[in-house]
This record gives sequence, C-alpha cells and structure tokens, in this order.
Amino acid sequence: MKHRFLITAMALLIALAAGSLLVAVPIAAQATTQGAAAAWTPPKTPWGDPDLQGIYTSDDYIGLGMNRAAQYGNRLYFTEEEIAAREKTIATTAQRDAVEFATPGGNVGTGPPGHWGERARRSPRQTSLIVEPENGQTPALTEEGRQRQAMYTRQGAGTARPEDSWEGYTSYIRCITRGIAGSVIPVIYGNGTEIVQGPGYVAILQEMVHEARIVRLDKSPHVGSNIKTYMGDSRGYWDGNTLVIETKNILGNKTGIGGNGGGTPFSEDAKFTERLTRTDKDTIQYTMRVEDPRTYTAPFTFTFPIRREPGYQNFEYACHEGNHGMMNQLSGARADERAAAEAARQNR
Amino acid sequence: MRHRYLSFAAAVAALALTFSVSMKVLSAQNAPNTAPARIDGKPNFNGLWQALTGANWDIQDHSSEPGPYYQLGATFAIPAGQGIVEGNEIPYRPEALEQRKKNRLNRWTADPEIKCYMPGIPRANYMPFPFTIVQGTTTIAFAYEFATSNRVVRMTNHQKAPVPSWMGWSNGRWEGDTLVVEVTGNNDQTWFDRSGNFHSDAMKVTERFTLRNPDVIDYEATIEDPKTFTRPWKISFPLYRRLEKNASQLEFKCVEYTEELIYGHLRKPTN
Repeated sequence: MKHRFLITAMALLIALAAGSLLVAVPIAAQATTQGAAAAWTPPKTPWGDPDLQGIYTSDDYIGLGMNRAAQYGNRLYFTEEEIAAREKTIATTAQRDAVEFATPGGNVGTGPPGHWGERARRSPRQTSLIVEPENGQTPALTEEGRQRQAMYTRQGAGTARPEDSWEGYTSYIRCITRGIAGSVIPVIYGNGTEIVQGPGYVAILQEMVHEARIVRLDKSPHVGSNIKTYMGDSRGYWDGNTLVIETKNILGNKTGIGGNGGGTPFSEDAKFTERLTRTDKDTIQYTMRVEDPRTYTAPFTFTFPIRREPGYQNFEYACHEGNHGMMNQLSGARADERAAAEAARQNR
Repeated sequence: MRHRYLSFAAAVAALALTFSVSMKVLSAQNAPNTAPARIDGKPNFNGLWQALTGANWDIQDHSSEPGPYYQLGATFAIPAGQGIVEGNEIPYRPEALEQRKKNRLNRWTADPEIKCYMPGIPRANYMPFPFTIVQGTTTIAFAYEFATSNRVVRMTNHQKAPVPSWMGWSNGRWEGDTLVVEVTGNNDQTWFDRSGNFHSDAMKVTERFTLRNPDVIDYEATIEDPKTFTRPWKISFPLYRRLEKNASQLEFKCVEYTEELIYGHLRKPTN
C-alpha cells in the first residue's frame, strides 16, 4: 500500500542511515535479554512450548543506528535524561503529525508527510543495535568483504547508473527480498512481524515483501549444502524460554545488514543465530548473531525489542505486483536519454 | 522445470494410495515433533503438503497439448489431466465465458503466474509446489513455496477484509473436525489456472480442510462470485503430506526470473 512511495522512503532511509553513522550507541543485549527473561515467565502453548505468538513491530527502534555514536563510547544504554529528551522529541513529532492542515502560506513541499511512514512510540533504551563487540561497532570487513563491497557499490545502490537496468538496484527495490538480516532490522515502515506456532514449527511472517520463514523444531538436519536460498535454511530449538534459530545455506553476494538488506553482501558461508525471548506480555527481545568470517573480521550481535502495539497489524505487501517504482525509474531514465540525444542532434 | 516432477509426484501419489499404512509409519519416524494427533482438541494439520493434480494447467478435464515452445519438445508439453471441478462444469455468465475464451487465447502472456504474481486462493493450494501449514490455536499460517506467498487464517477476532489483496483475507472456524476458512477481499487479478479460468473481486472462497488420515487432507472449496458465475460451484482434491526423508520447504522467489520479461524493453540499449 505504501509502496508507491518507495523512492521517497529510500531517500529518507539513506538519510537516516547516514545520520546513524554519526550517532552510534552502545548496548549489552545479552544481559538485557537474560535479565528480563528471568524476571517474567511466558505462558505456554497447549503443547508446552513458550508462547511467542502475536504481531510485533520494531518501530520504537526506527532510526537507531546499527553502530554506536562515538559520544557514548562503550555505554550500552541511554541515561534517564537522554531518554527524557528523546521522549520529548517523540511527543513533539506526534503533535506535528496530528496537524491536519498546512498553515496558509507555509512551506508545504511536494513530498509525502513524514507520518506516512511509521514513528517510534517511545525512546529506545539502547544506544545502538550492535551489542557485540562491546564498542557497538560493526567489525571491520575482511579483504574479501571489501572487494565484495566495492563490487556491490559498482553494481548499483549508489554510484554508477543503477537505472541502466533493474539489475542495478538492490534485491529490495526489485521486490525480491530484504534477506534474513534486512528483514528484521527496523526501517521507516513495514516493521511488522507475525509469529505463528504449531507443534514442531514456528512461522515468522514479515510484512515487508511478504516473507514467510518456516522454522522446523524437529532437530532434522539442514538441507544439502548445494541448496542455497535468499532466506537460508532455518532450524530451531528451545533454550529454556528462548527460541534459538540457526540459519545457513544463504545465497552469497545478495543481501547484507544495511537498510532493507543493502550494504556489504554476506558470503554464502554466513551463519545466523537468532534468539527470541518474550520478556513481558507485549515484548520479545530479538537478537541476531552474525558469523561470516569471509566478510567480517569478527562475529557480531545486534538486538532490539519488538512489541505488540494496540491496533497494529500486518497487511499484504504485494511488492513485485505493484512495483511501478521500478517501471518508472527505468522508463524515466530512457526518456531522459532520448531527450538528451535529441538535444545533442539539434545542437549539431 | 517443475513439470517433469509431476510424473515423479504422480508416482509418489500412487505409492501413497497403495501403501498408505506403511507410509504413515514412515511419516511418524521422519517427523518426531509433529507428534500430537490433536491440538487443543482439534485435528493437527501441521506439516508440508502438496496437491498432485494437473489442475494448475486447467482445473477442468483436459487432453494433452503442445507447450508454447516447440524447441522444448515433450518436456514442457501439457499432459492430459482430470479436473478438480465438481461435475466438470464452471457456470460462467455468458459475458464472463467470452472473457474466459479470450484469456485462454492469451494464456501464454496473460496468466499472472508467468510474472511471479501471488497466485491467490484457491490456486495456491494446487500449484505444483509444496506449502507448509503451521497451526496454532488462534492463528494458522499457510506458507506457500511459490513466490513466498502466504496468508494467516484468523480463528478468532474475525475481521472484514481491510483491502482487496492477492491472497485475500482468511477468517477460519471449526465445524467439528473440519477447518473451514472463508476467504474474502480477493482482488480480480488472479486466475484459477494456466488456461484462463478467472473470477472477479466479488469472489468469496469457502475452503474445507478435513483429515482423511494423518497424511492426507481432503480439500474442498466453494466458489461464489455472482459477477462471474450463475451459481456457486465446488472444487475438491486431496493434499498429500510430503514424506521424503527430511522433506523441507524450500524457496522459489521467482521475481528475478520475470524481470527481463517485464522490464526488458526498458533496459538501456548497448551501442
């Protein structure tokens, strides 16, 4: 539904991502998760598994960078004062969003209003999504990772001329997928995740680009190593009240940890370990550890809470079916080229 | 590509029918955790399922035909198939029948499956791809391998479909041991098959899932669409549990196989 505005959204996202690089923050995710989990016992499903079911959103962590801003050093959490200041900003934004009409003579602009995206309802407590390593920074790329990053940049998502072909755009813009990490990291809208459980299975359904991950809990082996997929092959088990999901067999050189699965693409040897712990009635602490020694010089972990919010639900995100953005970008670029060629002819 | 698999699938189906008892035992060994026969007092539909019909070619009885590209010879030709429509008759209104004929003539370009669009209900259930049912108590997820299309059936908090969509809006209920799902809010973009059978956005699908035994679901759907059909009509076919050792749902994100077709004319010319 919100797809027609993908371009604006992308621009905002890039701005947010750029901002977040300057504003990194620290975190002690594991501690958060385990401390809170110990304090609260989740209900059980009729077949005895911890019950994680519901529709959750990561909206509160919109705009918080993966990397921690230098000013916070190794500090994992905002202070109460910092949180109060952020809450004030959220309240001001909400007031602004509620204004129905522009002030006569005011500067209106032609882009959609910001509140067409989603807003955080409360301030994050963490200072960055990354909590391992302790400094809250994504580990350095390996040489192979740097080469892959350079190739990725050349292929699109930045420099050259992505509009030469659809192949110049990211998997997200092409409505293929945001990949395993990109599908969970908070962005400006479409952060909804629905969890459905059955005996032996957990389904994780993400609104954006309509992902549906099936996690088998039956201790069966992963599929053969020659079978690679964008979202990988997931197997799960319960560690106390925590759902642990291990994922391998992803297609290499496709998606990464940047906004909507952009950024340096993972290698096909990447391994992901997710931990989902319900910490109160409405909250799951979500954690992902990434091990991709071909791409990153060290493993790293990011975490954030996802929450049930009153009235929040998922809708069908028919991304490819409605991808007018791709059609328009390509046809617009061809029209520009024809116009330029015509102008050159006339000037001859 | 999927198609050559059909004969293999047919063999599996034949086996399943002939040796259903021994298959059941196998299934139990392969899936230790799908254990309970009942969940919260209801039958357990959890698992990986697949239809074994030629209905994705044509939901009605059909003879074999050549495929669209002679170069592919027998591999992509259309095999004969028995339909899934009760009585084999689809009660089109006269003007709708004309449209269906046009669709059939244009089927090699107009079928939404070609563009990797979400197939809608009921088609998703009989495409030649498996799907997983994850059955909780208040929600039941259907995750289809084709195009990662999916839907969540709401067993409580039923809602009116908020907007028209490709996969529709599914509200479910139990009638005894039968799972009944009403699908409304369907858009008018999906087809029933590759032969051009279609519907309007007024379509309501009422599905009934009943376990015949632990490895077979009897599936039935009633189609109501007064804009297109003169009366409600029914389809039915079995869904078989995939019993191969370590049978897993894979991923068929087909978008990238359609981009040259959809955007190819907009690629920057190389000269």
